Amino acid sequence: MGILDVPFTRHRLDNGLRVVLSHDPTAPVVAVNLWYGVGSRNEAPGRTGFAHLFEHMMFQGSLHVPKNRHFELVERAGGSLNATTWYDRTNYFETLPSNQLELALWLESDRMGWMVPAMDQEKLDNQREVVKNEKRQRYDNQPYGDWDERLHRMVYPERHPYRHTVIGSMEDLDAATLDDVASFFATYYVPSNAVLTVAGDFDPDRTLRLVEAWFGEIPGGDPIPPLPGEPSLPPLIGDTVRDEVVGDVPLPRVIVGTRIPPYSVDGFAVAEVARSVLGTGRASRLYRRLVRERRVAKDVTTYAFPLLTGAGMLLTWATGYPGSKPEELEAALAGEMEGLADATSDEVERAVAVTETDLVRSLERVGERADLLSMFELYFNDPGRLNTEIDRLRAVTPEQVRGFAAERLGADNRAVLTYIPGDDR
Amino acid sequence: MGVDTLDRSRVPGVAAPSEMKFPEIQDYRLQNGLRVVLWERTALPLVSLQLQFRGGASAHPAQKAGLAALTADMLDEGTSTRNALEIAGTVDLLGATLTSSAGYDASQVRLSILRDKLADGLAVMADIVMHPTFPESEFTRVRKERLDRVLQRSAEPAAMADDAFVRTLYGTDHPYGASLLGTSETLEDLVREDVESFFHARYAPGQATLVVVGDIERAALDSLLAASFAGWQGHGEDLHALPMASGAPAPGIYVVDKPGAAQSEVRVGYVAVDRKTPDYYPLTVLNTVLGGTFTSRLNLKLREEKGYTYGAGSAFDMRVAPGPFEAAAAVATPVTDSAVADFVEEIDRLSREDVPNEELERARNFLALRLPQRFESVDDVVRRLAELVLYDLPLGFYSDYVTAVQGVDAGAVRRAAERYLPVSRMIIVVAGDRKEVESSLASLDLGPVVVLGPVATPGASESNPSREE
Repeated sequence: MGILDVPFTRHRLDNGLRVVLSHDPTAPVVAVNLWYGVGSRNEAPGRTGFAHLFEHMMFQGSLHVPKNRHFELVERAGGSLNATTWYDRTNYFETLPSNQLELALWLESDRMGWMVPAMDQEKLDNQREVVKNEKRQRYDNQPYGDWDERLHRMVYPERHPYRHTVIGSMEDLDAATLDDVASFFATYYVPSNAVLTVAGDFDPDRTLRLVEAWFGEIPGGDPIPPLPGEPSLPPLIGDTVRDEVVGDVPLPRVIVGTRIPPYSVDGFAVAEVARSVLGTGRASRLYRRLVRERRVAKDVTTYAFPLLTGAGMLLTWATGYPGSKPEELEAALAGEMEGLADATSDEVERAVAVTETDLVRSLERVGERADLLSMFELYFNDPGRLNTEIDRLRAVTPEQVRGFAAERLGADNRAVLTYIPGDDR
Repeated sequence: MGVDTLDRSRVPGVAAPSEMKFPEIQDYRLQNGLRVVLWERTALPLVSLQLQFRGGASAHPAQKAGLAALTADMLDEGTSTRNALEIAGTVDLLGATLTSSAGYDASQVRLSILRDKLADGLAVMADIVMHPTFPESEFTRVRKERLDRVLQRSAEPAAMADDAFVRTLYGTDHPYGASLLGTSETLEDLVREDVESFFHARYAPGQATLVVVGDIERAALDSLLAASFAGWQGHGEDLHALPMASGAPAPGIYVVDKPGAAQSEVRVGYVAVDRKTPDYYPLTVLNTVLGGTFTSRLNLKLREEKGYTYGAGSAFDMRVAPGPFEAAAAVATPVTDSAVADFVEEIDRLSREDVPNEELERARNFLALRLPQRFESVDDVVRRLAELVLYDLPLGFYSDYVTAVQGVDAGAVRRAAERYLPVSRMIIVVAGDRKEVESSLASLDLGPVVVLGPVATPGASESNPSREE
């Protein structure tokens, strides 16, 4: 038994909606959190970016809730809310004073059941412009802003669902129609493809009855169609593949992408611990050696994409100083990655300790607790994985980390994207 | 109960909200002058601490911009008994987070840790505050990293706009006129001795308050503090009052050229008000109506109605001395002039018309009813309390908050707008593609268009780089 003991109960409505309740009356707040099993990986060719545009449309009103009303009602109740789209799922969430629980159930059930009648062309055109501005702000108008688009194209083969990023292509968004909105809704936004979690201060019996009342009459929906394209892929990229950008960036940066085991298998925990040894904090290998000792990098960053389909991705990057040679940065990164083949038990212990406190801290907020429970229910049919997550990390051995490095971090599994300051015009 | 009478066409009725209960906050001094503020909370086995020192970037001359942040950054680069790697490694093994940073008005060291590890964590925290050695070679490296961050940020349109905005408002002689990171000129001039003397002036128990929130009782805390901070003495230097911003800049449109920019970063504002203002509550409600939330006027107009932007908002940044009011958005290049006109109109309209009741009630409720959420984590509570300490406000401030917010009426909001949203005194900064926006901005009749040179800004946090949309 780990140090975590988040309580929960599981339920399933007749229409297939999975419900997780996690009661904790510490503070007078309640979180309502919905995960739908649809993300950018489900997008048909020619419709990239649509799952995300659709998420925006979910805030444009539903049969009984006019445009802007959803936000207004939650804010007026003292709540906060948002939604995010990711490769494998889309989530919607509110945190409210606990007496306002039913408001969230009403709003979420209305758009789960009755979203399409409220859609019109003006709303679609408006949100398409908003999303285009989101892309301009967060990608096009940022130095290095296209890195993930480029990296995904190198790490994932043609026709793989992760070949394109969540933001997708603006040309594809231009092609999206109201019919696309309706059919995406009918296919994916059905109770049988969703998890609803309520966490925080509420009466469990009454809440279950309310959930049944608000969501129970929504028709369940057909099975979700198989993913488009070709989801299976070899565990390794097979070579070192490269892309180079000479452009409007202030400092050179080398970004390495690596195929790793998907989030759905135990091997991901090994990859996550290896990543942490490599890149979490100032005692990590990359920071210690490249930033502090050798001073070849100004900063280093690592992240393991927890993706479900075929392969996840380990991201490693280093930003150089003015005049740094990209090939030296790349060699330094590669050297540290391969060098993990001698990872020690002290390093593994440090990596797990850092991750452990991060997890405990994230559970302080009911919204984050609800989000994690929804994820574990949707991905693994087991919200209880939240309480055993630490144990899975603790079970990772130095031998496994060394084996991971030997198998996965070599030159035959490397996508190298290089940014060099220069004139791109 | 609601179940039997389910009606989808109506907003569900609700019970009265539970009131947030504030615990007794302990507030006392140790014999060395250190003030301790303790809020016990036992929900999770966590403790969060902030050791806050009076004085940040505004405690040194503007010509040394970047010194406060650089000093904070240097604390964990080595002590008389631990080198930097030992500090980082120990903290990680404890599963703790130990950070140090500086704002304009305060410098702080934060520790967040599991309860059982608190003694070991406090020992490291005390060490970096009491015995840092500022090794010359680490100083050189850290300064260089920060200089390169200035360079890096100089290519980011949002940072270009932010920097031009504060520099134009405050000028180069006021500490609020530069980013906390400093500029390449000021950073180049800093030497290790600057860090050492700033450290001695600020990081003394006589300038400090330790805010503690979490699963720890006073007696246990006191004995841990006595052990870890043994021998810590000193008063440091008292602060001088800040200068006023040197003369208001000429109203008009200031353009920072970024050829080929995909959007225009727009900032509108002026030097507004300090945190001790008696108009705090009307201003807070006013800003909520204008730009504090998703359904505020600026966002509904510029995003949900026009589709010009991914998001627009505004804030009064209230500090020890008057800080900026700022309305901001990144907008599509071809609609830059229309967006600027909408900003000005929405800001100005609040002085001309009363806010309708429904909208006013929504803003008040948003602030009042959301209060429990702002106290959810121990880190949240620490931040709230540390702010009260910094601005010398009563620790019971939030006990009166709901009543005070609900007491703000339309007349008070209108008066606050008339006084604190003077469009005629505001400047407009646009960082974007000059050749695409200059002539249409000039024809707006909002004053002359002045083209500024590029500037750089402070570092953003580096966290999870993956992007959810």
